[in-house]
This record gives sequence, C-alpha cells and structure tokens, in this order.
Amino acid sequence: IQLDFWLAPRGLGLPVDIRVPFRSLQAVKAHLEANGVSYSIMIEDVQALLDEEQTEMLRSSRQRSLDTNTFNYEAYHTIDEIYNFMDMLVAENPNLVTKLEIGRSTENRPLYVLKFSTGGTNRPAIWIDTGIHSREWVTQASGVWFAKKIVQDHANNEGVASILETMDIFLEIVTNPDGFAYTHSKNRMWRKTRSKHPGAICVGVDPNRNWDAGFGDAGASGNSCTETYHGPYPNSEPEVKSIVDFVKSHGNIKAFISIHSYSQLLLYPYGYTETPAPDEQELHELSAKAVAALSSLYGTKYKYGSIITTIYRASGSTVDWTYNQGIKYSFTFELRDTGRYGFLLPAKQIVPTAEETWLALKVIMEHARDNMY
Amino acid sequence: IPESGHKYYLQFSTEDYRTGEDAGNCLATVLYPKKKSRPVVSIKCSHTKDQKEIQEEDNSFYQRIRHQSKPITASNIPDSYGNIEPALEPVWALAVAGSSSIMWEKSTETLGYFLAQVKSVRQWIRRDDFVEFDYTVLLHEMPTQEIISCHMRLTWLPGQPLKVKHFCASEGHGAEPGSGAESGSAAGPSAEKGASF
Repeated sequence: IQLDFWLAPRGLGLPVDIRVPFRSLQAVKAHLEANGVSYSIMIEDVQALLDEEQTEMLRSSRQRSLDTNTFNYEAYHTIDEIYNFMDMLVAENPNLVTKLEIGRSTENRPLYVLKFSTGGTNRPAIWIDTGIHSREWVTQASGVWFAKKIVQDHANNEGVASILETMDIFLEIVTNPDGFAYTHSKNRMWRKTRSKHPGAICVGVDPNRNWDAGFGDAGASGNSCTETYHGPYPNSEPEVKSIVDFVKSHGNIKAFISIHSYSQLLLYPYGYTETPAPDEQELHELSAKAVAALSSLYGTKYKYGSIITTIYRASGSTVDWTYNQGIKYSFTFELRDTGRYGFLLPAKQIVPTAEETWLALKVIMEHARDNMY
Repeated sequence: IPESGHKYYLQFSTEDYRTGEDAGNCLATVLYPKKKSRPVVSIKCSHTKDQKEIQEEDNSFYQRIRHQSKPITASNIPDSYGNIEPALEPVWALAVAGSSSIMWEKSTETLGYFLAQVKSVRQWIRRDDFVEFDYTVLLHEMPTQEIISCHMRLTWLPGQPLKVKHFCASEGHGAEPGSGAESGSAAGPSAEKGASF
C-alpha cells in the first residue's frame, strides 16, 4: 500500500497523519470505514501543492524560466525575457511555431514575428501586433499570453485549432523594441520609436502616425518633439516599413489587428477622414459581436466604432493603411483600463485582460475564416 | 447653440476611486461659450456613500500622517508595474483629488486629462493643523498623447476644502536633445495658479 506517515502513531487518542498514494486511496478509506476509524482529508492533492511551490520558487528567484510552462504570465517582462520566451516556444513546438525576423529597429534590434502554421503554402493569414507604442505594457504582456494560448489550443484541439487548419497566424509581440527597452531603462512613459532624423530636434516618431494613409493630414503632428509626430515621410520608421514590406510580399493577409492600451475600445477605419469605410456596416456588426464576447468574461465594458468617431482624428495610422491595402478586417484595440491606472496597469490584470481580449480576437478570426474574400 | 456656443448634456455614474463601488449619479450641463472663456457648468449629483464613513476614513488617514515622526517622501506611485504600496494609497488618493483640480483648470472642449503617475511626493511638516504635500504629477493629455509634468502643492485639513496650487511645464516631455542638437523648448512654464475646492 505504501503509506507515508507524516505524523506517526504515538499512542491512544492521538492523531496520525498519512500521505496516501492515489492508487491506494480507495483501499485505505474502505479499511478505515470498515473499522470505524474516523478520518478527515487535510490535503486533497499533495502534487498540486508541490507544483505550485515549484512555480512560486521560480517566480521569486529572478532566474529565467526554463520553459513556457513555468514562465510567469502574470508579470511584466523585459525585452530579453520576452525574446527568450519566443525561442523556448519555438523549441517546444517546432511543428507549429517559427520565428521570423522581418527587419531591424533603428537601434538595430531584431524585429521578430511568430508564425503559427499547420502547413500549406502562403495560407490566408491573420496578423496581430502588440507593443507598437512601447509604454502600453499590458499589450506586449498580452501578446506573450496569446502566443502560449495558440499553442495550447492547438495541442488540445480546441479554440483556434480549427482556424489553424486553414489559416496562419502571425504575431509580433514587441513591435517597437527600442521604445520598449527605453521604457525599462529610462522613461516608463515613452511612446514613440527612438529614431533621430536629420533636422528633427527631438527623438522618436509615433509609429501609429507613420503609415501611408492620410499621412501628414490633421490628426498627427509635424513637430518632432511631440508624441504624435508623424515622421519625415511615410514608413520612415523601420518598425513600420518592415511590416509594410511583410504585408505586401505576403499578399494573403485577411485580418489585421493592432493592439494598444488604454481606453477599452474596439476601433475600425478610418481615423484620417470622416468618410465612412465602405465595409463600415459589416465591421460595426462584427465589432458588436467581438465586444459582447469580451465582456462576457469579466464584465469589462468596451465601446466600439470608427477611429474618428469613437476616439479622435488620427492620420497615418496602421489600420487605415492595411484597410486601404484591401485587408477588410482591420481593427485596433485599446485594452484596459479607462484611466485609473492607465499605462501603469497592475500586473495582476494582465491575464484577465489577455483572456477577455482573446475572446474578441477569436470572434474576428472566425468571421474572417468564414467570410473568405 | 447658434451665436452662443456648444452645450453638452451629460448623465453619468460615479464610482469610488479606491474600491470601484458605485458612488452615485450626476446630471450636468456644460456650455462652452463661442468666445473661448471658461465653460459654464451646472451639476447635480446623488451620493450613495455615507458621509460619516467618508469622514471617518479621512480622519484616520489624517491622524496617521500627523503622527509620523518623519515627513513622508515617495516616488513613482504607481510604480512601473502598477503597484501602489498600501501605506501610500492615501497619499495617492490625495494626489488624485488635487490633480483633478489641475485637470479642471486645464481641460477644454477638445483637451482632456488623466492622472498617469505621481512622480514624487514630499510632505512639509507644519506647525498648525494642516497637512501639506508637494507633488510632481504626470498628466496624460488627450488627444495629443503628451505627458505633462505638473508641480502641485496641496494643503489639507479634514472637513475643509482641499487647497491646491499648481504649476505645469508647458512643453511636452518629448523635448529631449538628440545628438548634436539642442532641445527646442523656448516657452516658459505657465504661471502658478491657485485653486481651492
């Protein structure tokens, strides 16, 4: 039976503590009951406690985790930790995940995109990016969670596994690595890239004003010292140009989702003009469904609509360009919260935010799959 | 309203900043006159929180501050990871209240603010009953996305209106010099403003 006495018999009237291996449970219970010996269960599952302690130890020691199962999804990470996570994910799932380098940032950091694919050649694809504005930390953290979630769904043949049968998913987690590194080392509130263009007094271009859609129009700034500086010309930023090149050469992206924080909004084009997008009705209805799915988890309230009517006029923005390229399902998310913590969202909200957002993303991805164009 | 300006009718609910509990509803009208002067506001709110409970919380915090042996100093509330030390929560709450007066002054029909972070706080010990704090707060400005740094001096006695003096740098924080070039910030800081509310 292999009973392990944690508190051995000491005498009549004194309790005894026993760890019972799972396979002996029934026999031991039956024996005690048959002999009128009363017992109570102090720990239902010792292994669960051991597992928890293990992850806790890895968490508190500032070592890097050894695999994506012990990685701490409930904490904010540095760029090195995230890049290491990506490598681990690929190593653990070589038949599903590959890491692509689509370019280099101004400070020569690699721009990595994870490709999730079950095969085929140039399948219709979904693109998701997080962290284009570096101070929006919940987005990169959510991107890491999404990556793991895709792998898990595939392993368990649930969730997005069915989408992966016919489509590929591309995920760029640290879309602005220079900015992200800067938020860790120097200025937690840094938003832009870290480029310095000739003639510009200040550093950095807003990567969400640098796209070739209404570039330079009202809704961006020509002053390099501002947070919405559009840059000297469209795609001046390698972080933007690399995505533009990727999208054009891939040629088969059907949904493009760019993720920001904060404000709790789901937005579709346009930001640079009041002219409604030709597909506005469909995008509006799809947004309603996506938001309903998101709210169903924790009750988080989102508003939705076109960029210009819901948040403000913005020119040169990502999804205006992708939409004009023919990617109908182009959306921007603004994740939690609505201003109380803003960019400094407590880490314990990372996973709930990622979980609820994922439900909305699935609605969009499924719609794209079921409405191929 | 032709010839007059823009009038907004608002209905909104409020919640306790700390707990998220429902704190009542408000009905308001805001008129932005055609000539850019301060908006005209009328507002009526229902309060669901017990006034006595509020007073008790204020008083217990007040007593805690008064019995400090050293002046409170702190920085980065919340920190980069969104953490606020429980002992510093009331200091943060005072900053929220005080910076709302700054935001009130600075907001326009097209410019709004959120409190992004308390960069630093330092308590000044006074001989009278008031508690006094010097804050540097960072305001997130919309839609410009700028982070505005403001200095705020706040004086408080439970039961009295909060006294706030503020002084915000008018240039955005992005004015960092690149290599070989100088920062272009030539504008002086805005004049010190006082408010009592």
